[in-house]
Amino acid sequence: MNFKDPIDTYDFAIVGAGVVGTAIARELAHYDLNLLLMDSNDDVGEATSKANTAILHTGFDMPPRTLEARLVRRGYELLYRYASESNIAVEETGALLVAWNETELAELPKIQEKAAENSYLRTKIITSTKLYDLEPNLGPGALAALTVPDEFIIDPWSVSIAFATQAKRAGTKIELGCEVTKINRNSDGYELFAHGKIFKSHYIINAGGLNADTIDSMVGLSDLKITPRRGELIVFDKLARKLLSHIILPVPTKMGKGVLISPTIFGNVMLGPTAEDLNDKKNRSTTENGIKTLMDKGKKICPILLEEEVTATYAGLRAASNQSDYAIKFNSDKKFITVGGIRSTGLTSSMAIAEYVCELILESGYALGERIELPKIRMPNLGEMKLRPYKSAEDIANNPDYGKIICHCEKTTLGEIRDALQSELPPRSTNGLARRTRAGLGRCQGFYCHSEIKQIFDAESSQRK
Amino acid sequence: MKKTNVDVIIIGAGPAGLAAAAKIFKSGIKSIRILERESVPGGIPRHSQHLGYGVRDLHRIMSGPRYAKYHAQIVSDLGIPINCSTSAFDWAGDLTLAITSPTGLEEIRAKKIILATGARERSRNSRLIPGSRPNGIFTTGSLQQCVYLNNQEIGKRAVIIGAEHVSFSAVMTLSHAGVKPLAIVTPEPRHQSYGFIRFGSRLYYGNKLFTDTTLVEILGDKRVTGVKLRRSGRDFILECDTIVFTADWMPENELARRGNILIDATTKSPIIGRDYETSRKGVHAIGNLILPIKAADQCVLESRKFQFTNW
Repeated sequence: MNFKDPIDTYDFAIVGAGVVGTAIARELAHYDLNLLLMDSNDDVGEATSKANTAILHTGFDMPPRTLEARLVRRGYELLYRYASESNIAVEETGALLVAWNETELAELPKIQEKAAENSYLRTKIITSTKLYDLEPNLGPGALAALTVPDEFIIDPWSVSIAFATQAKRAGTKIELGCEVTKINRNSDGYELFAHGKIFKSHYIINAGGLNADTIDSMVGLSDLKITPRRGELIVFDKLARKLLSHIILPVPTKMGKGVLISPTIFGNVMLGPTAEDLNDKKNRSTTENGIKTLMDKGKKICPILLEEEVTATYAGLRAASNQSDYAIKFNSDKKFITVGGIRSTGLTSSMAIAEYVCELILESGYALGERIELPKIRMPNLGEMKLRPYKSAEDIANNPDYGKIICHCEKTTLGEIRDALQSELPPRSTNGLARRTRAGLGRCQGFYCHSEIKQIFDAESSQRK
Repeated sequence: MKKTNVDVIIIGAGPAGLAAAAKIFKSGIKSIRILERESVPGGIPRHSQHLGYGVRDLHRIMSGPRYAKYHAQIVSDLGIPINCSTSAFDWAGDLTLAITSPTGLEEIRAKKIILATGARERSRNSRLIPGSRPNGIFTTGSLQQCVYLNNQEIGKRAVIIGAEHVSFSAVMTLSHAGVKPLAIVTPEPRHQSYGFIRFGSRLYYGNKLFTDTTLVEILGDKRVTGVKLRRSGRDFILECDTIVFTADWMPENELARRGNILIDATTKSPIIGRDYETSRKGVHAIGNLILPIKAADQCVLESRKFQFTNW
């Protein structure tokens, strides 16, 4: 193969551009460093970060005194503030953790204690009467609930894109569709072989998500083992949104956090996830069994929800690991940082993980230099509850394309699609476009707009080339 | 915000909406506005280029686009405005709609509102079909737009889910696009189209009909590689790169639901009484918004009988 070395040596190569990798890139971009952010997928936030429950977690139910608990708590504060500064939608729904039988009822005070251990003190146990006042459409049989008023929902896609865009503006080199297949180390530092090229870097930060163990093994580390845990999810029609106003959580069991029902930031209602350990890191298929399990659970929690149409079904893979906590480790001999096993809490904790990684780097004696604030970023709003362009007289007056709806189910306008295609981090597929605009993700799943969106995408993409 | 008053608003410029507009106009009501969210009027027939339109109302056979144009022309000739690229996204009063378009926001109040928003085919998602999410999955609607409106690449070998009239329309479209329609799959014991259509389909395109068969999984990573089918409890795989989901109609009822109009639990269509009036006074629902599905010309014939008894 014709490996060439056209690139200088980077200070840090971040492998993996999910929400964690992009957050780290953004954080390091505050310093005068040469940064490389790479991912095997053709977009940022394309793997685990795109298919999750999109909840901004307080961390009330984390195992206390773990690194995960600490970083989720800190990450919550950071991301909440970042989202509001960056126009990323957050809806302050709050959560209700519902007990459906005596065993679960007995758990509520214990969960409340655990929340207190996690410094979260705003939970309350409420009676079933109060619960049904809050959520009259819940199925019969709920005995009580624990309120968690600060569990919120967030736009999960704009976060990685915002992080990566800010990093890019600050000079980070972003290489997508660039799978690292081999890593060599010599006296000058590392050589990362990817996509027919060699990238040189002094340090490597492994934020490889599902593949973090593979990347670790390329430098001879073997502690971490990642097991993909599949979570299937069902998204119901926007007309279901008025059925619920809170995130409805189950009482967790030894088997996992269980199936929840949650409003989504895009104005839908989501039911899921299942939890099933797999061997195949690429298997994002939904299954007969998974869908049936979810529908059965959904029927108990909110029977009327099942009368609504289903807009989408999908499966995500969280990076579960063989370790009981986040596996974040600076190997100073190797100048290699593993950021692995981030599981399902990575969206919330991402900015705190990035902050923590910087602390580890500083502790190792590496001088990062002066931290310079990055210019703020303003993301296009994808949240249903905030003003969207099609409803904004001002936007339409400025640009009539904001009054031209292309995706009728999601009310995405031509103006928003053009903006995304002309952005600094443009999508390379219509799926990427969908995560930036919601176009094509609605109830008709492209019956009306599939072809037109593809047409606009192809035209703009070929123009760019 | 701009506020306007008219006598009648019609939502949807498909065959049903267009024919109703013409009928109402001829009955003496002249202040009518038709709102169409697409950039051209005509509705679904616009992207169904094969023949078969117009038999019942015009007593001749024509293609979908010609048929769509014909009915849009009648309305234009009468001087009834059709506002395209215009979406009625919510209610702003009992008989007032909030609309958006490239010219801005507007609230239109009417004496009567007619919903003619049509129906769509359910997607693989709303049918709860498990499997992966590769490229190569269509409904007849999205397929025909890709093929006839935009001439896009489809694939090589397709499996068609459903065996109703529209399914055979998908077969013709696939064949037109150079895709081999391998098989038609239906959970029913027989197809639900005309015998001669099924016969012709087999003769010309050589496809197999799998009755009593359900699709249980979509296979493929980036691109569809096959479907897993189940018949009499036995699973088998058909290799293909394209899947077309046909029929299984869902009325486009968002505006009706947002207006708290009563909906039939089975069809999800608005429940209608005399003059096609819904549970919301002064709001009527016509065409394929009211299932079961009808051919375009049947919608036209129905609209031609439309009237407001209590004007």
